[in-house]
Amino acid sequence: MGASSQNAFAGTTPLDRGAETSYKGINHMSATTSTVAPTRASARAEGVSKFYGTGDATIAALKDVYVTLEAGQFTAIMGPSGSGKSTLLHMLAGLDRPSSGEVYLGDIQISSLNDKALTLLRRDQIGFIFQSFNLLPTMSAAENIVLPIRIAGRKPDQAWVTSIVDKLGLADRLTHRPTELSGGQQQRVAAARALASRPQIVFADEPTGALDSASGTELLGFLRKAVKELGQTVVMVTHDPTAASYADRVLFLADGHVVDEMNEPTADAVLDFMKHLGA
Amino acid sequence: MFTATLRGMLAHKVRLALTVASIALGVAFLAGTLVLTDTMRLAFDQLFGKVSAGTDAVVRAEAAYSQSEGISTSRAPIPASVLNQVRQVDGVRTAEGAVSGYALLTDNGGKAVLTSGGAPTLGYSLPADPSLRGDVKLLSGNAPSGAHQVAIDATSAEEHHIALGSTIKVLFRGPTQEFTVVGTVGFGGEKNLGGTTGAYFDSATAQQVLGAPGFFDAINVSADAGVAPAELVQRIDAVLPDGTEAVTGATVVKESTDAVNEDLRFVGILFMIFAGIALFVGSFIIWNTFTMTITQRSREIALLRAIGATRRQVNRSLIVEALLLGVLASSVGIGLGLLVAKGLKVLMDVVGFSLPSTSMQVQPRTIIVSLLVGTLVTVVAALVPAYRATKVLPVEALREAVPGSGNPSRKRIISGAVVTVAGLTGLFTTLYADATMKLFGPSLLAIIVGVLMLLPAAARPLASLIGVPLRLRGLPGELARQNAMRNPRRTSSTAAALMVGLTLVVSMGVFASSLKASFGDVIGDSVNADLFVTPSSTQAPGFSPEVINAVKAVPGVGAVAASGWGEARFNGADSSYAAVDPATAAEGLNLGLSAGSVSALGLNGVVVSQSAATSHGWKMGDVIKGEFAATGAHDLKVVGIYNTKGWIGDDFIISIAAQTAAAGQQLTASGLVKLAPGADQATVQQAITAAMADHPDAKVLDRKGYEKEASGFIDKLLTFVTVMLLLAVLIALLGIVNTLVLSVFERTRELGLLRAVGMTRAQVRAMVRWESVVISLIGALAGAALGIGLGLGLSQALADEGIKAISIPGLQVTLYVVLAAVAGVLAAIGPARSAAKVDVLKAVVAD
Repeated sequence: MGASSQNAFAGTTPLDRGAETSYKGINHMSATTSTVAPTRASARAEGVSKFYGTGDATIAALKDVYVTLEAGQFTAIMGPSGSGKSTLLHMLAGLDRPSSGEVYLGDIQISSLNDKALTLLRRDQIGFIFQSFNLLPTMSAAENIVLPIRIAGRKPDQAWVTSIVDKLGLADRLTHRPTELSGGQQQRVAAARALASRPQIVFADEPTGALDSASGTELLGFLRKAVKELGQTVVMVTHDPTAASYADRVLFLADGHVVDEMNEPTADAVLDFMKHLGA
Repeated sequence: MFTATLRGMLAHKVRLALTVASIALGVAFLAGTLVLTDTMRLAFDQLFGKVSAGTDAVVRAEAAYSQSEGISTSRAPIPASVLNQVRQVDGVRTAEGAVSGYALLTDNGGKAVLTSGGAPTLGYSLPADPSLRGDVKLLSGNAPSGAHQVAIDATSAEEHHIALGSTIKVLFRGPTQEFTVVGTVGFGGEKNLGGTTGAYFDSATAQQVLGAPGFFDAINVSADAGVAPAELVQRIDAVLPDGTEAVTGATVVKESTDAVNEDLRFVGILFMIFAGIALFVGSFIIWNTFTMTITQRSREIALLRAIGATRRQVNRSLIVEALLLGVLASSVGIGLGLLVAKGLKVLMDVVGFSLPSTSMQVQPRTIIVSLLVGTLVTVVAALVPAYRATKVLPVEALREAVPGSGNPSRKRIISGAVVTVAGLTGLFTTLYADATMKLFGPSLLAIIVGVLMLLPAAARPLASLIGVPLRLRGLPGELARQNAMRNPRRTSSTAAALMVGLTLVVSMGVFASSLKASFGDVIGDSVNADLFVTPSSTQAPGFSPEVINAVKAVPGVGAVAASGWGEARFNGADSSYAAVDPATAAEGLNLGLSAGSVSALGLNGVVVSQSAATSHGWKMGDVIKGEFAATGAHDLKVVGIYNTKGWIGDDFIISIAAQTAAAGQQLTASGLVKLAPGADQATVQQAITAAMADHPDAKVLDRKGYEKEASGFIDKLLTFVTVMLLLAVLIALLGIVNTLVLSVFERTRELGLLRAVGMTRAQVRAMVRWESVVISLIGALAGAALGIGLGLGLSQALADEGIKAISIPGLQVTLYVVLAAVAGVLAAIGPARSAAKVDVLKAVVAD
């Protein structure tokens, strides 16, 4: 289903042509990208383990994890506290390095990249939405949205950005500072930023964790739309079964292992499974 | 609460180190100054004590008043006949006449043995009785005897390879003579007497070359066993003729010591000013640190308040923290003070103010004063931030801490403006409305304080302006600019420390530059000379009057106007005076006489300056009472009033003959040479140089050479002052490091976010670096502007003294600003590195 939605969306909007030009010559992955529409790359973990501490005090957060997160899909990662779900997300997103094993984004083995290459990869290929503190307090919403593009020293694709801003209903909030925005608005600005640079993949770490349910629903709806309509690949860590139900697929983690997965999840099914896991 | 305070301090080692350093450096300067002055004082005490040990009583001429000039007190000589009377007194074991005076040694090559820093070059009579020599000991050879023998201080002998048995020339006020070196002399354990050179002769020879035959400067007396000095003094006094007195040896030592202490007090005050500036700048850093840490700790403070800590407890815990910090910093400072004392000593040597030394003196007073001052400054600087901390509400524990913008209050801007305007008004009143100069200092201070108060309001626009070029550096540059603008109060108090330092450095630079620029004009206006005869060392007091006679004899020399100077009391007030040769003064000097003439000076005339005449209402023919220490009061008749100060800056001019009569023969300070018509300047200069071969105490310069030498001296002084002020600049830079460290700490999450969304480490470092540059440039530019203004004001205030030209050393000021920017880059190295190392995960994972 993921593949079909990607194809259905490919090249259908004028905005995507903008995407091609913005990638040209700057994106070192552009050679592998289709000229018609950018391939939304998959993310893979192969035998990834992560240990903290040394000696007797060593704690394994992840143990030999193999997962593939399909391109063009909305994947949720669930699990009880301490299951390693956030750790896995950090590894996949290039925010942290595995103790052993390999992480791939598309064809690139990101676990072997040096800090600079990894940073540029995050800047150009990955979008982030964190639970809180997503925005720079000194910048307006508009400036925050184009932050990664500005860091790269590029001009934002104005039409593309405007379309995202419109989808998120932020048009009349663009000049406001983060302190002048509600929590929900702040997270929507973060979502706009995550998509503004047309990343290969968007990672969201408990994006609704600090939101009221109405704002949460709004944000999840948007992420869902981004996948369905724009063919964006989204990976989200959450502990909320309702949030997980927006995904195409849910991975369940416990004690550092992937213990199960569920396609086309519903909130009730996820909740049942979580109870079964003993969370 | 106390242990919490202590733990909190130890948890932030870098912050602790930086704040400690900022205060410790100021305290070190203070302690170093105290140590140095105590050491010098003791060195002089020892020196005088040593020299006169064994002398129980001294007979000397009564002085009209006690006048100190360097380390000697000028008194009239006493007739040698008094010596016989003294010897008759019961209880006198032995008594000898003593003579001392100017004596400049030369080495075997005929070159002058000059002292560093213009310490006196002296000649003495060496007592025949060793008990009267005090600590003056023959280290080798014999005591001099007869008209052709001399013993010299061991340092001169060693450093200039003057062997026993060799013949050297010695220069006096009178004719130069040749002597055979028969001995070397030491002083206790030292090989010289506080950096001076010494030539020792037997009593008769000393009278001949240093004083006058038949006269002594003083008679030194040693008592019989069992006779107390006070008793002896009484007995001697009974037989003395009028105009002479007997005092104990201890009294003489005390007088000399007091005289030197007076001079040292000035050195002490000078250094104290620099120490004060350093502490003032340091206090900004304490203020800043406390303000920032309180913002960062507001949740912690709020939590304490929430669980029941009272405002007073919060306040007290912060004051205790400041107290601990102050004590720690002061202790470190006292330790560093010893190094500073040594450094200052070296610096003074380099600049040419050599002083005797002994082992470093750390008095309890030094420790107490340093501890008190350092701690007090720290606590006072922390008072306001600590008071603000008490305003943190308990409910803030639950809020996400967003560092406040710290905009300056309207009240502060208004009062800052009022203070600045008041200072400016005071300054202009002083300069142009002929008000008293008393307002000058306070006016300058008011301007500095006012600008400091206004700086926060100016910080945002300044940062915005300075940051404009940073936009070209992309987003890191733009963020750096925004970060610098984001908390104007913090930015300004960080920059203010640098501003104060630079204001002082630049104003001194402008002043010195104007002084140098005026120098040529001053000489041009007040002197008609073609060539200048000056002492061979800029700090030497003068040269032998013999030199003038030698120069006069050179073919091609038209006239030589000699001048000297001295101190006396005119109309009851101490003042310096100039002594000129009435016959030639009019040729060499352009005094701009509005009445009378110099040639009318004679033995009882005086020419007064127009300003002195105006303020005292003196007119031609009036009689002014001039009191000289050696000879008492003389009536001086006003025979002229002069306008052009410059070469001569004194209010009173007398003739050299009058000076010799009233104060004894003195050294000549300068000789202005006017060429004979048609003579070639270069040829004559060469001829004069040749004629002065026997007078290594003087040299001849053309006008350009003279100006260069004089400005070289100004440059030396400027270097000295600048080096002193650099300490304040250094402390200011520590402050920038400190602010950046705290800002980086405060912005951990932001930095993490920026790194997560793709800012490279290099970009993060650039961002911190540019912010640092913006802050330092705010301080540097504000300081440069203010410094130029104050420097011009200072020059203007001294326009009457001849500083008529105004010169801004543009290149020098630009260099300072560029260096400040470079220093900003350096200050950012550490903070930028730690900013680049921020753990992305820690920043983005909610706690």
